[in-house]
Amino acid sequence: MADVKLTDIRKSFGPVDVIKGVDLDITAGEFVVFVGPSGCGKSTLLRMIAGLEDITSGELRIGGEVMNDIDPSKRGIAMVFQSYALYPHMTVRENMSFALKYAKVPKDEIDRQVNSASKILGLESLMERKPKALSGGQRQRVAIGRSIVRQPKVFLFDEPLSNLDAELRVHMRIEIARLHRELGTTIVYVTHDQVEAMTLADKIVVLRAGIIEQVGAPLELYDNPANTFVAGFIGSPRMNFFDGRVKACDGSRCHVELPAFDNAVVAIPLKGSMPAVGSDVSLGVRPEHFHDDGEGLLSLTIDMLEHLGGETFAYARSATGAMVVIETKHGRDLQSGQQFDARFRTDAALLFDKAGKRIY
Amino acid sequence: MKNLPETIRMACTYVFLVLMAFLSLFPFVWMMIGATNTNTDVTKGKISFGSAFFDNFAKLSELFDVGQIFLNSAKIAIVGSFFTLLISSMAGYGFEIFRSALRERVYQALLLSMMVPFAALMIPLFTLLATADVLDTHMAVILPAVASAYIIFYFRQSTKAFPSELRDAARVDGLKEWQIFLFVYVPVMRSTYAAAFIIVFMTAWNNFLWPLIVLQSNELKTITLAISSLGSSYSPDFGVIMVATVLATLPTLLVFFAMQRQFVQGMLGSVK
Repeated sequence: MADVKLTDIRKSFGPVDVIKGVDLDITAGEFVVFVGPSGCGKSTLLRMIAGLEDITSGELRIGGEVMNDIDPSKRGIAMVFQSYALYPHMTVRENMSFALKYAKVPKDEIDRQVNSASKILGLESLMERKPKALSGGQRQRVAIGRSIVRQPKVFLFDEPLSNLDAELRVHMRIEIARLHRELGTTIVYVTHDQVEAMTLADKIVVLRAGIIEQVGAPLELYDNPANTFVAGFIGSPRMNFFDGRVKACDGSRCHVELPAFDNAVVAIPLKGSMPAVGSDVSLGVRPEHFHDDGEGLLSLTIDMLEHLGGETFAYARSATGAMVVIETKHGRDLQSGQQFDARFRTDAALLFDKAGKRIY
Repeated sequence: MKNLPETIRMACTYVFLVLMAFLSLFPFVWMMIGATNTNTDVTKGKISFGSAFFDNFAKLSELFDVGQIFLNSAKIAIVGSFFTLLISSMAGYGFEIFRSALRERVYQALLLSMMVPFAALMIPLFTLLATADVLDTHMAVILPAVASAYIIFYFRQSTKAFPSELRDAARVDGLKEWQIFLFVYVPVMRSTYAAAFIIVFMTAWNNFLWPLIVLQSNELKTITLAISSLGSSYSPDFGVIMVATVLATLPTLLVFFAMQRQFVQGMLGSVK
């Protein structure tokens, strides 16, 4: 395993800048997940680490060595692709041994490593099959096996579970987590699925439009997002945002007026400096922070209910049409069209300024 | 039960298809029948099998060294097909895979070259090959066809279906560009190669005009030139011509039927 260090990494395609200066330290053995919406540059950044895209400027170090102009095969990385990228004319065994064959590794050693990887991934009975005779999950396991045999210092995963069905995705997610625990190798993983990011990562890197919005542990990002983008991206269903205006501030609380909710005023506890009275702010409340004993009170009408068994998501709106998503354990008592008062925990609510930056 | 208009429509469709099948197959059947009949029977329009096949073949063997002309045609078709596929597939791969500011312009110019009729190219090509001192050699027949705009176009279109992630995976696995082409692209695109081979082989095998221009020596002549010379004599023997035509048709038929499955796959798109 090796550490990966990105210093002011930039990438341009002609006049278009897609990566606009990324600084990131990935410590050895860490599982780092890049998340962000489509087109944010997460796959491009991964491909730059792999050496499949040139680095326009900046410095990439893997295991302390500058890798900007080093061939992909000599960077000590292995990559698992979204579409598996298995060679269709080769058997599973040939696919897994292909890279070692070209690295002129002795045949005995190739057999030993391929057999070991196939055992780890439970592929022993599939070794003589061709990829077309495998299911999606098996193909993905072969793709991972092909990476393992190279004994890389860093694993790169580019949306590896996107082509799998929901059940298999959960299964493979657990397999990848187990693999990381067993091998202990540094993993850089790209996904647009924030559930994958939350469950797998030691550290999440949230990207938007070629820049890093925030880096941190999954729960740290969830509890303390730096801005509305991260707050909205991490968590499902996403956080509710209500436009508000600061009415007054005392020593530890900021009183925010919410025009969309009949000018209801809620008191939000803050630790840092208070925003100016009269300034526009955005109040963020996660769906699960609506609670019967909460202090904040909103009058709503239920549009639609999603019963998931254990909990229910209620999609409601205010008199002025502001949408609110609420997670509740008492969804069976609710009905579409019903008017009700929802309470939320003001101590869990977050406040953001007009530019979307968090006010602590 | 189907209603009447539907039955009539189906009947019309079948009649039309049978008619088209007959029109397509009749020349071939007539050629087979003619090969077994004497010149007189053929000219009389006899349309049943006769017993003169071996006589006709013997006459053909007296006029030409059948083995040699077959060998000449096969050499030109096989060697020509090999180099055409190699050069044109590399070009098609290159045009699709490698980004360049000039790529599309060069490609459009190449496609435009398909609109230039061969008749307009014959004299400059002849002069070029004369300068290279390769006239009256099989090389002169093979060389002008190896960079075929149509086959380059065909390979570029097919390469669009070649997953770019396979190339990325091969790069991560440590393969050089030529190794990716040879050990990943070629096997993955084998259906495309099969379809292109059938097209190129048939074109080369049936090529008449260009070999007629550049080949002067009898021992270099191809089967199409032999058939042509049979037809241009003062009193052509149609039985012999038909035997020669059957023999000329057989290799292309064999190639097609042997590779039919890959041909259809290649035409539909080779990467599944």
